[in-house]
Amino acid sequence: MGTRNNLPTWSGPKYSRRDFLVRSGLVGAGALSLPTLLAACGGGSSTTVDTKTLFFENWPGYMDEETVGLFAKETGIDFKYTEAFLDNNEYFAKIQPALSQGNTIPPDILAPTFWMAARLIQLGWVQKLDKASIPNFANLRDDLKNPSWDNGNEYSLPYQTGIAGIAYNQKVTGRELKSVEDLFDPAFKGKIGVLTEMRDTIGLLLMAEGKDISKVSTFNEAANAFDRLEKAKSDGQIRSFTGNEYTKDLSAGNFAACVGWSGDVLQLSKDNPDVKFIVPEEGGTSWYDTMVWMKGSENGASVSSWINFLYDPVNAARLTSFVQYMSPVKGVREELVKLGADGAALAENPLLFPDDATVKRLQTWGGLSEAEETKFDERFSSIVGA
Amino acid sequence: MRRALDTKQKVGRWAINGVAGAAMAYLFAPVFVIVLFSFNNPEGKFNIVWSGFTLKNWANPFSHPELTDALVVSLQVAFFSTLIATLLGTCIALALSRYRFKGSGAVNLFLVLPLTSPEVVLGSSLATLFIARGVSFGIVTVIIAHVMFQVSFVAVTLRARIRGFDWSLEQAAMDLGATPRRAFWKVTFPLILPGVLAAALLSFALSIDDFIITFFNAGSLVTFPLQIFGASRVAIPPQINVLATMLLMGSIAIMVVGLIIESRRRRLNTGSERKR
Amino acid sequence: MVLVAIGVVALAADLITGALAVLLFGVMIASVVGIIWVAIMGGIETRRALAPYGLLKPGILWLSLFFLAPLWAMMEMSLSSKKSRFDFSPSFSWEWGNYSRALTDFGPQFGRSFLYAGIATILTLLIGYPLAYVIAFRGGKYRSLLLGLIAVPFFTSYLIRTLAWQNLLSDSGPVISVLETMKLENLMEWLHIMDNGRLINTPAAVIGGLTYNFLPFMILPIYVSLEKIDTRLIDASMDLYTSATGAFRRVVLPMSLPGIFAGSLLVFIPAAGDFVNAKFLGSPQTTMIGSSIQDQFLVQLNYPLAAAMSFVLMAIITASVLVYAKFMGTEDLT
Repeated sequence: MGTRNNLPTWSGPKYSRRDFLVRSGLVGAGALSLPTLLAACGGGSSTTVDTKTLFFENWPGYMDEETVGLFAKETGIDFKYTEAFLDNNEYFAKIQPALSQGNTIPPDILAPTFWMAARLIQLGWVQKLDKASIPNFANLRDDLKNPSWDNGNEYSLPYQTGIAGIAYNQKVTGRELKSVEDLFDPAFKGKIGVLTEMRDTIGLLLMAEGKDISKVSTFNEAANAFDRLEKAKSDGQIRSFTGNEYTKDLSAGNFAACVGWSGDVLQLSKDNPDVKFIVPEEGGTSWYDTMVWMKGSENGASVSSWINFLYDPVNAARLTSFVQYMSPVKGVREELVKLGADGAALAENPLLFPDDATVKRLQTWGGLSEAEETKFDERFSSIVGA
Repeated sequence: MRRALDTKQKVGRWAINGVAGAAMAYLFAPVFVIVLFSFNNPEGKFNIVWSGFTLKNWANPFSHPELTDALVVSLQVAFFSTLIATLLGTCIALALSRYRFKGSGAVNLFLVLPLTSPEVVLGSSLATLFIARGVSFGIVTVIIAHVMFQVSFVAVTLRARIRGFDWSLEQAAMDLGATPRRAFWKVTFPLILPGVLAAALLSFALSIDDFIITFFNAGSLVTFPLQIFGASRVAIPPQINVLATMLLMGSIAIMVVGLIIESRRRRLNTGSERKR
Repeated sequence: MVLVAIGVVALAADLITGALAVLLFGVMIASVVGIIWVAIMGGIETRRALAPYGLLKPGILWLSLFFLAPLWAMMEMSLSSKKSRFDFSPSFSWEWGNYSRALTDFGPQFGRSFLYAGIATILTLLIGYPLAYVIAFRGGKYRSLLLGLIAVPFFTSYLIRTLAWQNLLSDSGPVISVLETMKLENLMEWLHIMDNGRLINTPAAVIGGLTYNFLPFMILPIYVSLEKIDTRLIDASMDLYTSATGAFRRVVLPMSLPGIFAGSLLVFIPAAGDFVNAKFLGSPQTTMIGSSIQDQFLVQLNYPLAAAMSFVLMAIITASVLVYAKFMGTEDLT
């Protein structure tokens, strides 16, 4: 890239910073694909200024360093990537004071889970994506298109999708687990963890009752599951309520079993083969995290080129081979096979590419009205007891 | 009789020494773990199980930019907040110890209040004010919050330290023809300086380590303790222990220098105080 | 100066925000510098009369703005109500319901906080007193060094120290294996220190963490009060009461009471509001009120309820401090 020292500082016609950046972007774009080039030129959108910077705040362990570096290198964008998104509710509370007052927050893109994305859209805290400059949007899996809360995917695109099921440490359990009921086995008293992500924890308990969580819309339908959770807590069956940190307790053997997320556990089992993940026979919840462009961010062109980059099957496959979640991008399986060895093995992994029998056991939460969601959240937080 | 008492006394003496020794061991057990695990070579993401000695963490202590960035933020916050708090706190301590005036009792009480309120109350109330007034959270709010508890701390510790100071010395200097300004800088200032520095150092340490109050007022800003809190849930790289050990050694070094200076000073202040 | 005073009142009353506030802030800083200048340069007479107030003003202003004003804002918040779930600026409405909810829904957390903090205070006294005693009377020329050593662990981060305890107490950690080789598990279970063969995630672990983290706040004040005692007084009392315990009980202990008093406040108050130890070392059954306030404020976004809970916590602490002060016969808190 050019050095700014060469610019005359005394007088005469100076390049503005923006001219300079666009120019250097153009020069650097020689080897780039057409969409990125378009994005670098500002994409024709009049409001967005191409500052050539991008800040993506993501969940921990959710991207490999290679992808971060490749994107920065390919596009010349100054890419800041952090992993401080630890919990939907907590993060929402953190950004709420700024956004509700019309101020901006530092990240351009966040990765909220689908229900939180719906809330952000409803509150008007995110911007419409410039899909014209995201041609790879065409690669989005059909089953993830047009969610009820974001018809036409105007505001959000899936980042990764995964399964919440049961993770266990076979060294501690001494046997294979199959069912949600195993979490209530007295033999594991004080060695069970559940997630603070309410929809996953309560979702599993509801499925154990034989309910279809996509149809649960009022608190009363779920009241039993909450009672059961509360009893397990006061009996001392449950050791702790965790966010992402369950992986620590699981691998240290403090947990015999817990509610966990498929990709995390697969990643973990690379280091610790005793750690296993199953979709319980009663069913598991399927969820997805999204990418949304935050209100007030001016880096629209960079946002588009980033999403476009991720929706390229080659890049998506690389990401999948690291995070081990299900990709929302078509054609990833073929790309994984091309990677050979480990990648090809992943292409056959039923947790990444579930067979029909597994797919039948997966359910996704429907929408909850604001009033009902409040009841769910309040009851849950009174049990979590924080 | 006398003899029996002596053995009894001896046993008692040893018992107390033993308890004190055990208490010391208790104090240092976690420190030992922290330093030891900075040499660990963990297998997974969590540096919690000992799995072999290595020097590689110490070879690249700054290989986790998010940790290093957070440490830099903490140092910046601590620098500015300590500067402001020391200035304000020293003024208060001087006023309280040097002058008799109406309302000093109320001021005393007012100063102690922030130190005797739980941090969670201080943090949440300040955040409530900021939210209610639409102030956006960031480094400024964190500095304001830190100064708030540091001012009281500096004032109270410094006042205790200069309580017995003989203010007539300054008067004497002025009687001998020094201007008030000269008297202050030449007499008072050097005398209170060690106390000011000690209070500033301690309040610097308080600022660097503050978690609860910062947690409420940081918004998107990440200080070192906040970074550790976040990291503790997802991955604990051994570099955390390396940086913590560095901070530890830095403060021990400062302490040792302080001790040396103090003992020199004592030796210079000839014999009069050689009691005990 | 008058200008500054008006400005501060305006700020405190929240009439001014934004750029003006920044300007006022600058004026305040400037006034600090100005006051120091006057204090050093001014005539002796005016200096004498005005100096204490001049010196006090900036610091007191700061505390009024960022300690008193927030308490006021919190009181307002605790009586406010939210119109809807995502109403982020609750309006004042004499909503006493927040207080009744704080007391009814969070009774166990309040109870636990004060219980744990109380036990931790007693433990710090039992551990800290002998240590302070030995350093004060037997430290000799190493007193400063020993005192410094006590401070050393507290120069590492609070969170890292607590994480280290997590490490020490974990199911596969060193403390458990020592207890197992010494065959002490049954005793520990009987004492309710261990639960189901584990130390971590128990009340004992939380109390242990609190005790550890606040220990120096007990040791230092006790040391300061012991150090003031003239050893000749002890020698004399030894002759008088003939036994060391008698001398201790009648001379040393009474004279160190102010230290014990200050120390127990400095331990009890922060321990009662702490949530780090409960979070790292506890379980869902050991949550303390600090974590509940944190959760209501920073996760549930229920600012009014969190404010009410904070006020109840403050009230109980203030009341117990007053009772304690009466009991100990001390009036001077500092």
